[in-house]
Amino acid sequence: MILDPILDVFRGKAVTIPPLDGAFRPNTRLDDATVFAELSEPDNLLVSDGRLLVSSGNAILAVAAGSEPVVVETFQSPVTALALSPTGELTVGLESGKLLIAGKEVSLPAEIRCITALAYADDGTLWLANGSSEHAPSQWAADLMKKGASGSLWRCGPGGIGFQKIAGDIAFPYGLHPVGANVLVSESWRHQLVRFDGANGSRLTVLTHLPGYPARLAPADDGGAWLTLFAPRNRLIEFVLQETHYRQDMIDQVPPACWIAPALASNRSFLEPLQCGGIRTMGIRKPWSPSRSYGLVVRLDRTMQPQFSLHSRANGTRHGICSVAEQDGRLFVASKGGNCVLALDLASGGFRWN
Amino acid sequence: MNFRERLQAWRFNLVPDHLVGEILTKRWTDNAIPFLALVATLGVFGSIIPGFFKLTSLQESTRQLGEFSLVVIGVTVVMLGGGIDLSVGSIFALSCFSAVYVFFILEQSIWLALAAALCTGLVFGAINGYLVGYLRLRAFLTTLVTFIFGRALFDILVTTYAADVQLSQASSDVLDFIGDGTFWGLSVSVWLAIILAIVTHIALTRSRPGWHVLAVGGSRRSAHNAGIRVRRTVFMTYVFSGFCASIGGFLIACRLSGAGPGTGLNLEIMALTAAVVGGVSLGGGRGSVVKGLMGAIIVLTMTNGLIRLGYGTGTNQMVLGILLAVAVTIDIRWLKNRHKVLNEVYVAPVYLKMGETQSAAPGSGTSYELDNRLSAADHIGLGELEGPEDVILDRDDHLYCGTRHGEIVRFFAPDYRRSEVFAHIGGFPLGLAFDRDGNLISCVGAMGLYSVSPDREVKRLSAETTRSWTSIVDDARLRDPNDCDIAPDGRIYFTDSTKRYDAHDWALDSIENRATGRLLVYDPKDGSTKTLLDGYRYTNGVCMAHDGKSLFFAESWACRVHRYWLEGPKAGTAECVIRDMPGYPDNINRASDGNYWMAWLGMRTPSFDLSLRHPDMRKRMTRRLPQDEWLFPNINTGGVVKFNEKGGIVEALGDLSGNAHPMVTSMREHKGYLFVGGILNNRIGRYKIEGADPNWTSPASYWGAKA
Repeated sequence: MILDPILDVFRGKAVTIPPLDGAFRPNTRLDDATVFAELSEPDNLLVSDGRLLVSSGNAILAVAAGSEPVVVETFQSPVTALALSPTGELTVGLESGKLLIAGKEVSLPAEIRCITALAYADDGTLWLANGSSEHAPSQWAADLMKKGASGSLWRCGPGGIGFQKIAGDIAFPYGLHPVGANVLVSESWRHQLVRFDGANGSRLTVLTHLPGYPARLAPADDGGAWLTLFAPRNRLIEFVLQETHYRQDMIDQVPPACWIAPALASNRSFLEPLQCGGIRTMGIRKPWSPSRSYGLVVRLDRTMQPQFSLHSRANGTRHGICSVAEQDGRLFVASKGGNCVLALDLASGGFRWN
Repeated sequence: MNFRERLQAWRFNLVPDHLVGEILTKRWTDNAIPFLALVATLGVFGSIIPGFFKLTSLQESTRQLGEFSLVVIGVTVVMLGGGIDLSVGSIFALSCFSAVYVFFILEQSIWLALAAALCTGLVFGAINGYLVGYLRLRAFLTTLVTFIFGRALFDILVTTYAADVQLSQASSDVLDFIGDGTFWGLSVSVWLAIILAIVTHIALTRSRPGWHVLAVGGSRRSAHNAGIRVRRTVFMTYVFSGFCASIGGFLIACRLSGAGPGTGLNLEIMALTAAVVGGVSLGGGRGSVVKGLMGAIIVLTMTNGLIRLGYGTGTNQMVLGILLAVAVTIDIRWLKNRHKVLNEVYVAPVYLKMGETQSAAPGSGTSYELDNRLSAADHIGLGELEGPEDVILDRDDHLYCGTRHGEIVRFFAPDYRRSEVFAHIGGFPLGLAFDRDGNLISCVGAMGLYSVSPDREVKRLSAETTRSWTSIVDDARLRDPNDCDIAPDGRIYFTDSTKRYDAHDWALDSIENRATGRLLVYDPKDGSTKTLLDGYRYTNGVCMAHDGKSLFFAESWACRVHRYWLEGPKAGTAECVIRDMPGYPDNINRASDGNYWMAWLGMRTPSFDLSLRHPDMRKRMTRRLPQDEWLFPNINTGGVVKFNEKGGIVEALGDLSGNAHPMVTSMREHKGYLFVGGILNNRIGRYKIEGADPNWTSPASYWGAKA
């Protein structure tokens, strides 16, 4: 209506989110996929020497088909990021803010306290995403609900000469994908992918209006990339983000697990918030109902445009996907909210969105 | 409580925001805009023109108004029937000429002149009606053609006979009286307009042909499908319009004792403007005679006022045009957006600070602690049933429940595999109870209190109570009758949960949280219904205490259970026996061990409790988000809680998996089993209660062992 812009001043704009359409058209591929391994909150996946490594809590485990996961290494605090250097050194970021390369602690600038992603470029440069200067990685929800934008991007090397800050004021960088001398970063709270210039840190938005909160990026065999989105955008949450007083009271008085905030898994406790559309009716939870958690993996082509996606919808369980790894025509998907690692066959084809 | 919160509490609990929405649901709000326009017009012209309201001035204005109103009534009826009549001006003029010709030139009686005028109008109306109604030509073009044709004919006749009329010697007292006289202070034309308006109003609102006109205008196809003779109805509206215009024409012939080139000029534009400005919808089906009359007064006051202020015809036409444009725009925008406005303003949340509650989480160690026992219940009617809000068993162990299709379904003992529709009531049967004679009493959502006899005869017991003095919506009507129970003396105590929302929107009431729930009593002796208590936040389950001297009732959104005393020193008063529960209580029923079962339809969540202290946030939420996205209490997890006579919690059962019984709205103990129902569930659960009396039944507990 022609008067809407005037009326909006008084009544507020309708809160809208991008629809799941086009390359994001929903399917049930993640819920249909076979379980490769079951373990508690698998976070980061990494292929090393043909082995599949998974971080879960304080440990890194090796998982293989048909056998129980084997603990490779354990640490003092939870593992928050994994990477493998071109020379084969395992690089680990911890919840405590420490960074270990091949088991040795590397000194970091004091600003880095929230290592959310690590990635090596082909020349051995190590990229590091510092999600927030105020919160630890496990407190990501607080960073979002306080509208944090204090994340930063760091670079080391090649050759290990210490970390340089490339860019700051990023709203929770959560994924890294080096492309030549530049790096593609998923900026979670702004629902977008941004390319940072390796030389001067200037930024270029590559993909915006994502329907979820982007997490880690993983290279695909044909030069494209896999993008995981760890939680869906939700109109109620976006509304609460606009509500200063309610949001502040919620942060102060409500336990974080019961916040109106994105989650890796939902509907586990009756203390969690429920939206009208999520009411279980006649034994059914509608797959398209609003949800705080979702499972979504997106395939990006070489120009970083989405091609197709894999979903676990509101009534599914493979939610909270933070990391994937492609190996030998198979895609491994770590569902942190679903407590499992899935394996999907890419070679069998049929991986088009229609 | 900080200052901001206190301010919010005052603002949202003291300012009656909900009245805006309630007023908008009234059909008479459609009249409000034209009425305000009428008052404004009269006010403005009355104040700037000296002597506007003087008797002589009014007398002349009202004479003109009478004629004009007659024409507008005709146009209104055509528009209500979905058509439009542009030819009223020329019919008016031709009728005027017919009367003048018969009286002055043929020198016949005034009654013959009237007959001639009426004939002219009816013939032209019939031509319009035949072309539009039977041949189904476009109303706009057809009446445009008759308008041009009629006007041309009138111009020819007037120029031919003008001189003859001037020279005529004919005169009549009747004609003078009609033209100039008054009867009880009002001129004949005004009297005629008033009579015709009343007759037409009654015909439109209270008679079959009138309803047919409105039905045809509202939806031609539906009217046809309903068996209405659409073509004839349309035909008759044009004939009526021609008839009205011809009376107007006759009156002006009497008043002016002649016909001139200006007679009826631009009358069609004025009549059309009047009808639309009054609020008669151009689309048909919506409007009334009163609206047309309001429009007539507005238009005539404006045009006369402007003339008296010295503005010429051009300005007058311009103002009419603008008036028409504005009215059409408002008509269309209002029609299209009224329900949107209503949706946006209807939910008017209030402030509530819920009390601290004990946790019901597994492992919390409180008496409310929920477990997973109900998920082990057997299922009855899985996939066949939809929405068994309440369940009940009779003396022969048969199981009854309501469904969302308005039926009461009976499952046969002993295995409850076979079922039949016991009775069809309609609405949404909710709470159930058996009376002494084995009649099944049911609170039917959106309908009222009903009784089904053992031989399936459905009888309405009550659908209304007394209306409160300050209500805007009709709160005498039972909107959401929820649960009932029967006292030993046969009186039926039942709850009506909310005055603000219909039964199927019950969950929306939790967002608003306004205290409008009632406890009522129906007396079978005289068939009367009385309101006992009012102002609770969603009154729900009712259960007679074991001794029959008091009853328990649940107040859902406040998470409380109250006891209402029927006799004793506290008779007629209620006291709260359980407060600040972690779940929202629903139905309450007797247990075999002298305690009571209470269903929890959902659980409190910290985020929703907090939102109750932020009514502004909830209001914005209802405006900016679609309903599916609104924050609700967690009604995906419920449970069954047993409490004792004093309100102490004995135990709690739940289905934390949420697979079998996510929301529990009722439960009924029978011979050692607990039967569990849920308003949004597709099954009834049967759960074996450990240690329960295997012979105890509810009918025996209420009415004694079988005679």
